[in-house]
Amino acid sequence: MATNLTRLLESSIRSTNAAAVQSSMRLFSNQQQQHQPEDDDEEFRVLNLRTIRQQARRREFKKEAVQPPRTKRMAVDQDWSAVWSGPRSFHPASVPLPLRQGYTERGAAAPSKYANAELMKIPNFLHLTPPAIRQQCEAIKKFCTPWPKGLETEAKWKRTFPLEVVTSDYCHSLPTIRNPEARRVKITLKLSDLQFDAHAKDKFLRLVGERFDRETGLLTFVTDRCPTRKQNYDYALYLLTACYHESFVTEPWEASKSEADMEQYLFERNQAKRSAEAILNWNASREEKVSPPSGYAESVEQLINEGENEYNIAKYKEEVLKLLKIAI
Amino acid sequence: MNFLKKVLPIAETQLNMANKSALHTSAVCCRVQSGRYRITTKRDRPLTYEMANPPHFIGHRKTWNSWNTSTLKDGLRPSQTAIEDVFIRKFITGTWHALVCSEIIIKRQHNTIRIAAIIRQAISPRKMYFLIGYTEELLSYWMQCPVTLEFQTVADKKDVVFKYI
Amino acid sequence: MFQVMKRLRLTQPVRFCSALSNNSTAATSPIQPAEPDQLYSKLEIELRGVDPAVLKSYTWFATTAAEHLGIELGKCWSPRKAHHERMTLLKSVHIYKKHRVQYEIRTHFRYMNFHKLTGSTLDTFLEYIERNLPEGVALQASKTELQQLPEHLQQPPEQV
Repeated sequence: MATNLTRLLESSIRSTNAAAVQSSMRLFSNQQQQHQPEDDDEEFRVLNLRTIRQQARRREFKKEAVQPPRTKRMAVDQDWSAVWSGPRSFHPASVPLPLRQGYTERGAAAPSKYANAELMKIPNFLHLTPPAIRQQCEAIKKFCTPWPKGLETEAKWKRTFPLEVVTSDYCHSLPTIRNPEARRVKITLKLSDLQFDAHAKDKFLRLVGERFDRETGLLTFVTDRCPTRKQNYDYALYLLTACYHESFVTEPWEASKSEADMEQYLFERNQAKRSAEAILNWNASREEKVSPPSGYAESVEQLINEGENEYNIAKYKEEVLKLLKIAI
Repeated sequence: MNFLKKVLPIAETQLNMANKSALHTSAVCCRVQSGRYRITTKRDRPLTYEMANPPHFIGHRKTWNSWNTSTLKDGLRPSQTAIEDVFIRKFITGTWHALVCSEIIIKRQHNTIRIAAIIRQAISPRKMYFLIGYTEELLSYWMQCPVTLEFQTVADKKDVVFKYI
Repeated sequence: MFQVMKRLRLTQPVRFCSALSNNSTAATSPIQPAEPDQLYSKLEIELRGVDPAVLKSYTWFATTAAEHLGIELGKCWSPRKAHHERMTLLKSVHIYKKHRVQYEIRTHFRYMNFHKLTGSTLDTFLEYIERNLPEGVALQASKTELQQLPEHLQQPPEQV
């Protein structure tokens, strides 16, 4: 306080002195006289380019009145699906729920819904409330048709519709709707649905190769080499048709198949039959010739085709004893 | 059919190359410090909730800022999506200069892009409406898909502050 | 009812993402079907997303919609663990090989099965749930269509 007072006094004395000097210099210039009282402090004058009016027009930002949140005006029994009709980020002013979201240290409350970015991030299902789903489903139900009668179980529909075509659609959040995976087509059917003779079936299985699953008996064609789905579907059906029809073709060289090329042991074509006949018809006349019984033929085929196991050997033994009419 | 046999494997390898991010050309430094803030001596650095939780809490305490299917397994065009997201963020922080108080959240649903953020009420609503229309129009022209802005406004920047460190 | 449909169209300006095959003729005009409707024995939906909670909510929505539309619901399940795509980097900029950081992208899966749908039902249902797909979720719909054997495969060829 004291220092301030002394400073005030000093300045007042100086100003009185200045006034005295000023009065003595009155003769020289009028301008000086006008300026003198302004810089009575010992400071530089400020060059002010703007006029006083411009300085005064300092713009004040006028804040507009912010509306109170909409939730305060909402009726209790309002139609919520009209408030939140489509997918939208969370907005606290239109959701009348006291939500809180966020992790805090123990004891503190989670951040409220106002200015909470976490609530805005997570995809919300506010437009898919149970009443909204029911309402929308009722509206689109007229486009649905019931499943036809008589095809309730898989066994029933398999009889009429043996062919299954599996395709897939993709829905991604991309600016394009194309997906290269969507071109893939898989067709499946049971081998027993196609009609074959013995030669054709054998040839067909050789043609399709890996596409046939022996355990389930299912034939599967997967095509993805064409760019569109329609082409791949056509190609799969073409493959099936071509294999099926080709299997009925008998090439001329197929007749020259020797015993070493056979994929299965056939009793009719082999030495076993001739030996059995020779034993049975030993010393028999031309008219009384008998062929070995079918049970024996089967057991021999089984023994060689399926390999030796206890059951096959036992059966073979039984049949041999029966053939030679040996009683134990 | 024969020419397809030749073309398709090449096209497929190219597609695979584009899908897989085999090369990483971005800088690997600063991954220990990024997204983590130091305590000041005066304890007066304001942090939003997003800043208060370091990146390893994503999926636990905070969620992602970009929602799209490109980052998922077998997602298509991940690099383009990432670049577009960076561009959108830069464009919005520049257009809404000194107004954005939070991270910019980009959500992609089907072919639409929805952008959410928290904005300060520092400009008049008329200007805000103009800026919304301007941003939507320009972004949808550049991205070639509909863009929607879903902003939330706060009166002051202090409203989004979660804590001071 | 019409208003609800209109609102559905208006509020979601999104392009419908089903791919090339589209039997929309059956869906739009159920009164005079030009060709017999397709039959689908199974619709399998695979969802992928980063947040399992979102997938769960969406599954609830889809199954509820299927119940309202009278579609037979099959097995809905999700694998216990997410798919992790990991990348390991050095923690420091240059050396110190023993100290690494690991980054990973998790993808959660969820599967839903629906059985015995006609072509129009499938189109309606699939479009409805695809339109309401939340952001950050990818959907793959595998459809098993039932078909008759083509005529040339029903009998063995007479001449080859």
